[in-house]
Parts: sequence; structure tokens; C-alpha cells
Amino acid sequence: MARWIRNGYFLLVYLFLYLPILVLIATSFNASKYGTSWQGFSLKWYASLFDNSLLVDAAIRSLIIATLSATLATALGTLSAVCLYRYRFAGRQVLNALLFVMMMSPDIVMAISLLMLFIVLHVQLGFWSLLLAHITFSLPFVIITVYSRLSGFDTRIIEAARDLGAGELRTFLRILLPLALPAVAAGWLLSFTLSVDDVIVSFFVTGPSFEILPLKIYSMVRLGVKPEVNALATILFLVPLLFVTLSQILLRRKK
Amino acid sequence: MRDKSLFKFLTIGLLALWLGIFVLIPNLMIVVTSFLQRSEEHFVDVLFTVENYRKLFDPVYFGVFAHSTLLALVATLLCLLIGYPFAYRLARLTTRWRPVLLVLVIIPFWTNSLIRTYAIKTILATKGLLNTVLLALGLIDAPLRLLYTSSAVTVGMVYVLLPFMILPLYAVIEKLDSSQIEAASDLGASRLQAFIRVVIPLTLPGIIAGSLLVFLPALGMFYIADLLGGAKDLLIGNFIKNQFLDARDWPFGSAASVTMTLAMAVILLAYYRSIRRLNSGGI
Amino acid sequence: MKRLLMLLVLVLALPLSAMAADKVVYFYNWSEYLPEKVLEQFTEETGIKVIYTTYDSNEAMYAKLKLLDGGGYDLAVPSTYYVNKMRNEGLLHKIDHSKLSNYTNLDPKLLNRPFDPDNGYSVPYLWGSTGIAVNTAEIDPNKVTAWADLWNPEFKGQVLLTNDVREVFHMALRTLGYPGNATDPEQIRQAYEKLVTLMPNVRVFNSDSPKLPYLGGEVNTGMIWNGEAYAAEQENPAIKYVYPKEGVILWLDSLVIPKNAKNVDNAMALINFLLRPEIGQFISEEIGYASPNLASVKRLDEAVRNNRTVYPTAEDLVNAEFQVDIGDAITVYEKYWEKLKAGR
Repeated sequence: MARWIRNGYFLLVYLFLYLPILVLIATSFNASKYGTSWQGFSLKWYASLFDNSLLVDAAIRSLIIATLSATLATALGTLSAVCLYRYRFAGRQVLNALLFVMMMSPDIVMAISLLMLFIVLHVQLGFWSLLLAHITFSLPFVIITVYSRLSGFDTRIIEAARDLGAGELRTFLRILLPLALPAVAAGWLLSFTLSVDDVIVSFFVTGPSFEILPLKIYSMVRLGVKPEVNALATILFLVPLLFVTLSQILLRRKK
Repeated sequence: MRDKSLFKFLTIGLLALWLGIFVLIPNLMIVVTSFLQRSEEHFVDVLFTVENYRKLFDPVYFGVFAHSTLLALVATLLCLLIGYPFAYRLARLTTRWRPVLLVLVIIPFWTNSLIRTYAIKTILATKGLLNTVLLALGLIDAPLRLLYTSSAVTVGMVYVLLPFMILPLYAVIEKLDSSQIEAASDLGASRLQAFIRVVIPLTLPGIIAGSLLVFLPALGMFYIADLLGGAKDLLIGNFIKNQFLDARDWPFGSAASVTMTLAMAVILLAYYRSIRRLNSGGI
Repeated sequence: MKRLLMLLVLVLALPLSAMAADKVVYFYNWSEYLPEKVLEQFTEETGIKVIYTTYDSNEAMYAKLKLLDGGGYDLAVPSTYYVNKMRNEGLLHKIDHSKLSNYTNLDPKLLNRPFDPDNGYSVPYLWGSTGIAVNTAEIDPNKVTAWADLWNPEFKGQVLLTNDVREVFHMALRTLGYPGNATDPEQIRQAYEKLVTLMPNVRVFNSDSPKLPYLGGEVNTGMIWNGEAYAAEQENPAIKYVYPKEGVILWLDSLVIPKNAKNVDNAMALINFLLRPEIGQFISEEIGYASPNLASVKRLDEAVRNNRTVYPTAEDLVNAEFQVDIGDAITVYEKYWEKLKAGR
């Protein structure tokens, strides 16, 4: 009985997470332009989506920026979390305070201040400015997630490793990193999510030659959701889903 | 010993450099701006003033701050209540599908949140999915007015922020040693007692991390309140964005941002202190 | 893996290759405000590549162009009061009409307006109005003929306002008999007091797509843009557009060249291309807003040309007003706007 309730609850949360997406997928096949009522099955929004090459280009750029920024932010963030956890040093509180300030900054404040910074530093607006900004706003999410996983962990294991002659880098690679791995993965996933979803910071720090998908979608949606956007969202949702399922099937076969 | 100092020096140096350039300098610019004057032509005039902070001492803005904080708090608590049991169950699963199930939690969030918010809108609308289903089941006689209410805003916020609670919780719960929980049970603790006395304290870092990752972004979030709440309320996020863009009053917007950051720092510090005192004094 | 790397290199190199080609124009426009086919045809004919990027509000576009000191983009499409503001601040490049052979196609009624006398810095692109929508299936249309009718207590919780401080105050100022672009703080305060009494009727502020709450049955009357009203009427014929007695709010989006644009000649070529009769017709048909181009309007289907929602008659435009820049007074508006929303 208790098991039933637990499993039921588990499924219910997944349902909550997926219901809006299911609605969205259904709407993408709706012939009606505004999706206020069902007017029959149609693939026309997919056809007009593929006519829109700008949208597809933007989607590719977004994936590149999100993958790179999530990976770099996770690398930097994991190292930083380990440092903040391992060492007591002067200025540690200052770094903590800066992380807090960054999390508190409203998007628009971060967007305009970063744009001013890039103008002052003569960073060309486009790929690099976008990448730097995305790494920056993902960083605290990784650090907090990894730090929380490490805290409470028995430091005597580290001391033991050091006594056995393991160097600092080795201790990190052999003990701390494997220990933190689930949190590192979680941090990467969160960073990727933040990057593909960010609008305001990206709008200000990117240049005309590097427009990414969230900006396109945001300005399209602002003037009423175009059905093509639903079609695109459906594809962007199904591709990673398919990828995960396939990789699992292949892994199982191997075993 | 040399490699310790090198590794330590490099990582701390990198982090400090990064935060220095991309956080400290931009935020110093914001602090400076908050003491300058608005200019119609150049955004800011370099004239010192504290007028921006004085203007913030208006009960209207206090109300905006209180309302946003309350909304963010409710969203955080709901995320915790929904997310904790879920993350716990997920982390204790023994199947090898576990990593897949974890990725499945986040995949919906790779679809733009604005589009998802619109999807929620079509569910909650007067002629929407939920009302249609309830009417068909005969549970209600007339459509409920769900859209453009504060409950719609809360549902939307919880939906958008839930993974930011689940993932850190998962990362912490996953390392729990089941022998610790069993030991507590062996000592005669009921399951509930074991949970409260052993599991919750052990997972506290995850609870704090998840709450921070939900609460702080929730404070600045505005489009959910705009879309699902009908834009009838003013939240801190809207207010600061309006100052920067619509009113083009950067100094006032900066002052509001600085004040909000300081106020929240004070509140969170006080909260930590009280938790620490409870922990050392009690149990 | 190798192919993925290739793709990565290609995408990274893309901005470089675009810069290397000498014939480009950087076009900064509202999203969904120009069919992609038009740009393709332009590139085919002239060999000039269009790098097209979008924004969603005048304010955001202005902040970015201002910070970049009018550089980075060659063509943008601000609305009236931002044309006015950018012009006054010297952020725009002067436009030589003699280089635009199609300039004479434009409707003289929409030229030489106070926000840009003689159109020295702007060329009209599309225009429209903000008026009232009524769902005639729910509300007797005779009850809603003026802005002031929105205050009718019968409409409790049924009214939509646009989420735009200038438009909402414009409407309230007109019901009080004041100019829609008032800068007198006392008049603005009175408009605020008036709006406070409207709040019980307001169900939603929406500037994303105001037609949707009407179509979804959430609201039955309130403010709307004419293009949105036209689209709503196609979907549900009961929804009608009304030109309020106190006067509609007019807006006009114009093509401008920022001061430090690098490809001015290409931008001029693109403007002239957009002014062609058949191109203007195509844009107006696809986007659903009115063309300022008389030669284009003549080519339109009669049903569209005579549709009062899109192309108002002279009688509809009595008391109509364009929005102009109001300078520092915007902070007064913004203060009352915040009080209006926070005061609930």
C-alpha cells in the first residue's frame, strides 16, 4: 500500500513536469492558428518551420553556447567548490559574498553592467561575450550544488590519502571528484538549462551576427505564440528524449 | 607540499580572477551608478546624490519588496514539499534506470520556459484543458476562473523552479548511507523519528542549497507573474526592469538593486544565525 | 564526432565570413515584422546579404543602440516617440530622399509629422492604432463607443488594458479631455486617480498578444491594437474593433539608420526596396498592419483595403493622436504606473 502511494506520487510529479509539454506537442499539430480550439490534425507548422532557416541556425548556435558554457562553468565551479570546501584562506568570505551578489542580481542589472564591461574591455559582442556571460551566471548554481554535496563529508579520508602520499591533484581526481560526481552532473544540467533559457542577459551582450534561439523565441512569443514555435519546441524536446532512450538501449545491449 | 600550494593557488586564483572581472567590477559600476543622477540624454550624469535611496523609502516600494519576498517564499516552500519526497525516492532507487530518470526530470526544462508558461496558460484558461476535464467529469458546473490569479502565479513559479530544488537535493540524498538510517531504526526509533532526527539533519546542506537556488531567482522573476497573473502586481523584478528600460532611470534602478541585495543578505544572515543557534542549543 | 567538430568550426567562422563579405546590411527589426522571403529576394537582386536580428520593445532596442553609440546596426525600426527621441539626441543618420526613387509612393498624410518634421531621419514602414475591442456576443456594442465606457461597473473583471504605461495613461488622459502626450504632472496625477477607479474592472494587462484573452473568453472588452483585432475577428467574428470617441492612439514604425552605421548605402538600397509597391503590399498582407505606401494599398484586395479595422476612414481618426517623446515626464508616468499596480 505504502509502495503504491510512493510510486503514485513519483509518477504524479513526472506528470506535473510533462503535462505542459504534452499540451504543447498537441498544439503543434493543431491546424488552428491560435490554438484556442482543436481544428484538426496538421503538419503545416512543421513545414513552415523548416522554411525558416534563421530559426534553425539560431537553434544550432544555442546548443553550442549551452554545451560549452555548461561544461566550462561546471569545470570552474567544481574546482571552486572543492577549494571553498577544502581550504581556509583570506578572502574566502569575499568570494562567498560575490557569489551571493551574483545570484541576487536581477537579470537586467547583470545584462546592462556586463554590456558596459564588454564595451569598456573592447570585447567584440557575439560568441565570446555571450560565452563569458553564460559561464558567469551559471557558476553559482554549480558551486552551490557541488559544495552542498561535499559538506558533511568526512575529511579524514582526504587526510588518509595525503598520508599515503597522494598529491593534491591526485586527491582531487581520485577522491573528491568521484565523490562529487552526482552533484557535478546536476550542476551541468542546471547550467545547460539556464543557458538555453536565458533571454535578458543574452539580448544585451550578443551582437547582430550571433543571435541565439531564446532571443528569437522570446521576441516571437512576445507578439503571440506562433504555431511554428510549438513545432520547434516539440522537436527540441523530442530529440534529447530520443537520444537518451537510444543510448540506454545500446548500453543494455552491450551488457 | 609544493603541489598543494600550486593547486590551491591556481584554483583560488582563477575563481578570484573570474569573480573579480565579471562580478565585482560590474557590481561596483552599479553601486557607483546608484549615487549618480538620471540623465535624459546619457542615462547618467556624474553628479553625486543620495536622492535615489531616499526615494526608495516609500511605503509603495516596501510593499513591492514584501509581496515579492512572500511570493518567492511560498514558491520555495512548495518546491521543497514537492521536491524532497521526489528526490528522496529518486536517489534511493536501486534500478540502473536511475540516471535516465534523473535526466528525464530536466528534459522538459530545455524547452524555453516562456513557451512552457504559455502551455500552462492553455491548461488553466477559462476554456482550457483543466476546466474542460472538470466540466466533463461533472465536478464543476461553471468554468473556474483560474488564470490571472495569484494561485496561477504560484503554480507557474513552482513549475519553472522545481528542478533547481530537486537536483541539489538528489545530489545530497544520494550519498546517504542507508546503514545510518537502519542504525537509528535499530535503536528503536520509529520511521518518522528516524527521518526527522537522522535523515533531515544529514540532508540539510541540500535543503539549504536547493532553497537558495529557488528563492533567489524567484525574487527577480517577472514574466510568470506577467503572463499568469495578468501583470496586475508589481514585483521587484518588474520594478527594476521598468526603471532600467521604460523609465530609463538607471540610478534609481541601481539603488533598488543594491538595496534589495543588502536587505536579502541581512535577512539570510539572521536566518543562518538562528538556525545555527537552534542546532547547537537544541536536539 | 568529426562532423560535429566541423559543424562547430563552421558556426564559429560564420560571423567572420559574414564580415569578410563586403556587401552586408545589419537589420535590427521587431520580430515577425518582415517575411523572410522579402529579404531573400533583396539578396538575390542586389547581392547584399541581410543579417537580420530582432528585438521585442522600443526600450530594449534603444538602450542597446545608445550604449553602442549608434554602431553595430545599419537599419532599425523604432516607433514614433523613439524616432523623436533618437533624432533629438543625434543618434540617427540623415536620410537623403533624392536617393530613394520610391519615396513618392508614401502617403503624404503620414509624412512630415511632428515627431520628425520633413522626415529627415525616418521613412514610414507600417502603422496602426490602439483602440477598443468588444466581444459583441457578450456585450451590446452600443454600450462601448468611447474610452470612458470601459469604466462601466457592469464590466467588472472583464476589461483588458495593454501593459504599456504610455498607452494606458494616454487613454485615461483623453477621457479627462487632456492631451494624450501630457507632460503636466497635475494632469498625469489626475489620470492616475481616474485609473485607480478602473482597476476593479481590469482583469489583465497584456502587451504580448492582446487578442488571445479575447479569443479565450477571459475578457470581453478593453484595449487592443488594430492588427490584433483584425486577426481576432477572422477567428471569431463576434469580436469587433471600435474607434473610441475621444480618439484612438496612433503609432507608426519607421525605418531609421543609426548614426554610426557602417553600411549606409546598403541600408538605403534596402529601404528603397521595401518601398516598392509590390513589396509593401506583400508585407502588409503577411503582417496584417496597414502600409503607409499608397501604391501598395492600391494593389491590395478590395475587402482588405476597405476594412475599417486596418484602414480607418477620416471620420474614424477624429481626435486621433500620435505618441511623441515626453522627455523627463516619463519618470512621473512611471511613478504613478508603479503606484497603480502596487496599490492593489
